[in-house]
Amino acid sequence: MEILATHRLSFTYPNATIPALKDISIQVKQGEFVVLCGPSGSGKSTLLRLFKPEIAPHGIKEGTLFFQGKPLQEVTPIVNAKELGMVFQDPENQIAMDNVLEELIFGMENLGFTTEQMRKKVAEMVNFFGLNPLLDKKIDELSGGQKQLLNLASILLLEPSVLLLDEPTAQLDPIAAKEFIHMLQRLNEEFGITIVIVEHRLEELFPIASRVILFDNGVLLHDTTPREMVKELGTHKTMKSFLPSSALLYLEFYKKAHAETIPLNVKETRQWLQGEHVEWDEPSEVSSAAAVPSPILELKEVDYQYSKNTPAVLYNLDLTIYEGEWLAIVGANGTGKSTLLKVIGGILKAQHGSMKYKGKKVRKWEPRKVSYLPQNPKLFFIQDTIRKEFEHLALKHGERNPEERIQNLLNKFGIAHLQNQHPYDLSGGELQKAALIGSLLVEPTILLIDEPTKGLDPESKRAFGELVSTLVDEGLTVVMVTHDIEFSATYATRCSMLFQGKITVTENTRDFFHENTYYTTVLNRATRNSSAYPVVTLEEARRIWRVKSPF
Amino acid sequence: MVRGFRSFHPIILLLYYLFAMAALMLYQHPMFLALATVAILLMNFMLDGGLELRKWRAMILIMAVLTLVLTPFFNQRGNHLLFYLFEKQVYLEAIWQGVMISLTLVCILTLFLTFNLVITPDKFVFLFSKIMPQWALLTMLSLRFVPLLRKRLLEIGDVQSIKGFSLKTGSVKGRAQSGMLFLQTLLTWSLEESIQTADSMTARGYGLGKRSKYQPYYMKKRDWLAFAFLLVSGSLVLFGWWLGDGVLTLLPVLEPVWLSGREWLYWILFFMMIGFPIWTEGKEMVKWKFLRRIG
Repeated sequence: MEILATHRLSFTYPNATIPALKDISIQVKQGEFVVLCGPSGSGKSTLLRLFKPEIAPHGIKEGTLFFQGKPLQEVTPIVNAKELGMVFQDPENQIAMDNVLEELIFGMENLGFTTEQMRKKVAEMVNFFGLNPLLDKKIDELSGGQKQLLNLASILLLEPSVLLLDEPTAQLDPIAAKEFIHMLQRLNEEFGITIVIVEHRLEELFPIASRVILFDNGVLLHDTTPREMVKELGTHKTMKSFLPSSALLYLEFYKKAHAETIPLNVKETRQWLQGEHVEWDEPSEVSSAAAVPSPILELKEVDYQYSKNTPAVLYNLDLTIYEGEWLAIVGANGTGKSTLLKVIGGILKAQHGSMKYKGKKVRKWEPRKVSYLPQNPKLFFIQDTIRKEFEHLALKHGERNPEERIQNLLNKFGIAHLQNQHPYDLSGGELQKAALIGSLLVEPTILLIDEPTKGLDPESKRAFGELVSTLVDEGLTVVMVTHDIEFSATYATRCSMLFQGKITVTENTRDFFHENTYYTTVLNRATRNSSAYPVVTLEEARRIWRVKSPF
Repeated sequence: MVRGFRSFHPIILLLYYLFAMAALMLYQHPMFLALATVAILLMNFMLDGGLELRKWRAMILIMAVLTLVLTPFFNQRGNHLLFYLFEKQVYLEAIWQGVMISLTLVCILTLFLTFNLVITPDKFVFLFSKIMPQWALLTMLSLRFVPLLRKRLLEIGDVQSIKGFSLKTGSVKGRAQSGMLFLQTLLTWSLEESIQTADSMTARGYGLGKRSKYQPYYMKKRDWLAFAFLLVSGSLVLFGWWLGDGVLTLLPVLEPVWLSGREWLYWILFFMMIGFPIWTEGKEMVKWKFLRRIG
């Protein structure tokens, strides 16, 4: 039975010339797991929101939306609130109340449940989600992943028949994201809840989705099964980056593959490789003797504690950063990655240890030497428009000819047309670039980047990676902390693992991921100990593998 | 202790505090107030081992001593002239009055310390929501914002300090300017983010119909018993005050301070009521101490 449908739906935002959605007709059947994907601004979130009239964007809507065969405007708001549950992107902002229990019952209170009903349902839900230890906690004691699970639970308490999710894992670390998606899979399989999810992180979603719908510029491009989608997009220039890397590896060698044979996860890739004969060129050892770069920043025996009674976040940490490298520091949540970056940046002062810049001890940074790109690029801006921000910054640091330099950078990064906009009106990728310009304005030698890929779609991620790569080629030293293994594997030159407050290992990116068994890219997990030479990235496979194609 | 004083229904607890406050204000008699001081201090120790009391100790003492010393100095009415101080008469009546005022102050302040321990914020919101449900919801929503805004302001400060805009260094004017910019950013940012909060609330049906309220507390048998006890002892204590048994007459003639006859009855009743937490909490403490040994 059809549970959600649109018929020739078009939507135009006020003052926009191009419609955000054009002539969309889709049907979602009960119990389906549908993934909506596409680049930022392709209209997928708009579509999701149109199903909730109370929070739908303003604009001109043509066509009809249906819920259980009834036009949406005939569905009463109460039924809509109960039956269509919606989870949003930011885990923090969705939470209205101050503690976990109050938040869980918020929706039920709105719909007038009695205390007995609430007690019963909460008991059920808390057991299902394992939220017991959290029940009496304050919201600000929870991690991002816990917050998002809480949001999901508080919506499920209303027993919705459809879950609409708008990039629910974009702000989560990979482990929490996996856990969240796993929970969605359980809800779909064990309870038959229909799921419609907008998401950029598709690696985990492709294997469990029953359908994938692709949008571009408000037009529905494809609406098909995940495997068919892989086949359709395998040759597409930009949309390709949405596909799981296993599928991309396969398509690299079988351009005209049958949809059923395409592997979507590690297990299927390994099965494919078992029956495959792959030859390879032994990768030539990169001659590292060419020029030993000089260390630009040396940290020795650094300790950091937030307060006397809490355990040390960083303990006896040594780290050497070389000139002109892109160092990625990876590690699990709460290992002190961001703290380390703040210590390097001088925001936090280490209780013990020393930091040397080109051999000289650093007491206080001159702003020209080090710049910082925060996790949330919105925080970088304290002026109304991005151009004012740059001018303000240039004035502060007495930059000569700031106007010329600003315009150069704006042009170089391709966002010159946005310079008079308010920073919050920019998309995630554009804002990231704008903040990057701001941090480059003072011509720093070291750039610190905190979790740059959070919430970016694959295309913006790629653009950002390449942009920073060119900067590194021009001589900038970049230190980045991140959860994003695939991103580090593709762009960083060296990788460090932070564990128990120490850097446990630092190696060239390729060696680093080759030697890791669990903490490594999907492709490396799929190809290690297989019949083929293990690779870390698709790029590497393309270079050294030779698959005898039967086609 | 699960069944101690704190486990009563918040309304019972509130009722106790109302009665106790009223009794402390009405019973202006050194014998009664001294008894109350002992009882309330004991209650403080039973509830948290005197931790909260220790924090406020100095301030309470200073206030008590100041009132004790200054009242006789300013109050110039009485029949029993004791001595002259800086050419001012000091009367016995005024000294007793000083004792009573300072004891009342100590009692009320220390009682309020236990109020904070007993009526925790969630109980407070519960009580509040009984009277004004809309405002209680608003309070809950704003409670969430306190840590959130603090965290955000810190984040802004961190990021901007690397950019060279700091509140800790530089000229006063520069710091003030940065501070204003930070606050402005905090405001714009938070407004922007709270649109999402509003969306999420609306998506869960906020404002569609009459809200119900989850009742985390309900009246149990022991709550009703406590209610009856408080009502009876409270009315008797009020009656005693009406009879004038708990008030020391200072003028025109100073009454003997030591109690006599019927006054002792009210003294005991007063203690029973003010000491209500001591019985309930003490029973549990004794249980813990002895029951454990049997096991």
